[in-house]
Amino acid sequence: MELAELTRRRERQAPQPGEPRRGSPRDGWLPARYRAKAVTFGLVAPSVLVYTVMTVVPVGVAIYLSLTDWNGFSDAVFIGFENYLHLFDDPSSTSAWYVTAVVAGAGTVLMIGGGMVYALLLKERSRTNSFFRTLAYYPHVISALILGFLWAAILGTNGAVNSTLQHLGIGPVGFLFEENLALVSLIGVIVWAGFGFNVVLFVAALQTVPAELLEAAAIDGASRRQTNLRVVIPMISPVVTVATVLNLVGLIKTYDLVVSLTNGGPAGATQTYSFLILARSFEGTKVGYANAQAVFLMVVCAVLALLVTAARNRQDRATTS
Amino acid sequence: MGTQLRRACAAAVAVTTVVAAATACGGEDTAQAGVTTLRIIVNISPNLTEQYWKGLFAKYEQSHPKVKVNLELTGTISATAKLTQDLAAGDPPDIAQQITPTKENAGLFADLSGQAWTGQTPLADQYAVDGKRYLVGVGQQIQSLVFYNKSAFAKAGLDASTIRTLDQFQDAMAKLKGAGYTPLQTSGQWVPGAQFSLIADSGVLTADPDWTVKRKQGKVSFATGDYLKYFQRYRSWIDQGYLDKSALGLTYADGQTAFLDGKSAMYIMGSFFVPAADAAKKSDEIGVFSMPTDGAYPSGQFGNIANPYVVVNASKNKAAAIDFVKWLVTDPAAIESQLAADGNLRKGFTYPMSSLGAQVQKILEEAPSVLVKSGERQPVEGYPAELNTQVQKLYTGATAEQVAAGLDKWWNSQS
Repeated sequence: MELAELTRRRERQAPQPGEPRRGSPRDGWLPARYRAKAVTFGLVAPSVLVYTVMTVVPVGVAIYLSLTDWNGFSDAVFIGFENYLHLFDDPSSTSAWYVTAVVAGAGTVLMIGGGMVYALLLKERSRTNSFFRTLAYYPHVISALILGFLWAAILGTNGAVNSTLQHLGIGPVGFLFEENLALVSLIGVIVWAGFGFNVVLFVAALQTVPAELLEAAAIDGASRRQTNLRVVIPMISPVVTVATVLNLVGLIKTYDLVVSLTNGGPAGATQTYSFLILARSFEGTKVGYANAQAVFLMVVCAVLALLVTAARNRQDRATTS
Repeated sequence: MGTQLRRACAAAVAVTTVVAAATACGGEDTAQAGVTTLRIIVNISPNLTEQYWKGLFAKYEQSHPKVKVNLELTGTISATAKLTQDLAAGDPPDIAQQITPTKENAGLFADLSGQAWTGQTPLADQYAVDGKRYLVGVGQQIQSLVFYNKSAFAKAGLDASTIRTLDQFQDAMAKLKGAGYTPLQTSGQWVPGAQFSLIADSGVLTADPDWTVKRKQGKVSFATGDYLKYFQRYRSWIDQGYLDKSALGLTYADGQTAFLDGKSAMYIMGSFFVPAADAAKKSDEIGVFSMPTDGAYPSGQFGNIANPYVVVNASKNKAAAIDFVKWLVTDPAAIESQLAADGNLRKGFTYPMSSLGAQVQKILEEAPSVLVKSGERQPVEGYPAELNTQVQKLYTGATAEQVAAGLDKWWNSQS
């Protein structure tokens, strides 16, 4: 819109000496009034095309397939909303939703909280702080699958931690074989692997907080804790909102770490909804049903993202009014 | 701007033309060379490694210089899921290993019934769909086997040949525990469900081979039938410490290694365990007997076709693909190589076997039947994974009744 406006403004300017008159028929094969639209369309079209091909079409196909009994091999037969109804009587779904909710809820809180604390501690520019920021971000650049295998080798029954404990005469701790502890281990690894991303976001945001505000708070006698809670964090709240939405949606879709760390076990205790879709429904050639699960998951993600954003906006309005 | 737009369009067309021409020329080069490229997806396992498959295919390429065989890896998903993805993408491979055709999807695979050589392949008719052979295999695996550590048995004063019933098996575990061993090795991942299946199926399916058919019809259930007794017995083994709860934190490979290292006394697994024992040079220290049951002994061996292959109907090189599959399942050298690699068996074929392999072969020869879960006797999709989840719940506190009821509830929700 802005670009089109700029283009229109330029067209309204008078031609410079020696510059041919704009808008004359010999200028091009399009009349002047369509030229700006053509430019706008030309610039936007590639992005729209890529977005359509890579996102809109697959989502459309997924929605269509979710209404069929397709097993990935045979012809897809339209069965209406049967797959969606099955979502609510499938016993596997209930436990998977519980695990997903715990992972997403606890994971988001810990990643946001941990990332914020870490960023506040390391917000000043120094070599030491840069080193620790890099250290926090480092797991984020490694494949989650590899991280899962790595932590399985550390936390498994014969892993590094339990082997050390056994040398000390302590029996194996059920990091990966006791239901609750396995879920805690999974969340711990997820937080460790992902909170560095939040650190980077928050450090960048913290550096945009005006120094005048911090000075004013200091003059008013605010402690460091009060300054952080009452001045700094509210100032970067839009970034916190974005990070919350990204973390929440990302964690609802947790799959790769589950595969490599626990494979959904023990007894399905770490089986997330995405794992259920990919490792159970899709592997079990229930492709139509898997698509219904995926569409449902997409809707849940969208609703949650909207709710978080709406809550943030409401709070912002309340603060400014 | 109009000129710029025209230039941009012209450039795009030029680039597209050049790329298209280059692609076309590439294809022509291959065609001119007369080389047919076959794509195959296989399951990679500790025995059948990527290196093994490539070596096997290289032998075919040597004897068939006009054919190149490309192995396509499936990553973290199964061969079935990979084929599903490839079909959905409109780019299926020519051949797939480890996929069992069903009534619903048989049309996707080439009907090999007209090929006379398929009649010589093992279990060809058991896996036929509506009388048509879509699947051919190299050999067969048997799975109702209990491998045991000879030293542990000697220390516990046990004679493996006298263990024929589940009560005797249970008594043996008590003695092994007393001798300081973990009686029965398990691990996490898919292993608990598979081991339970081997224990229970040996009894239930020998007594009634059509139990699964009846379960589909709703005439029997897990909670009211013989499976409940097996769940109860399995739970009691966990409670008595015959199965180690912490083993759920092990991978399949780690569990196998623990048994090979002598940390546990018995290991319920299929014949494909033999190559692992051979590779670890432990075969002579390990014995094997058929899974005890509450019924006749020896029971029928729960088994399946080994290294099964299908040719994809949409293959552009179907004739070459069928020739290649024929070689895989009829060429003596290829057969022996594949049998040896995965510890599989086939009547009329042999390969240098360890003492352990020879014992497994003897068990197969003495088995009254080989129970194959194919056709109508196949459980509903997803059953092995759900069974595994439910059996693991026995380790984490669920009762046998809860597990059996949970399995029934899940099964009913899938119908």
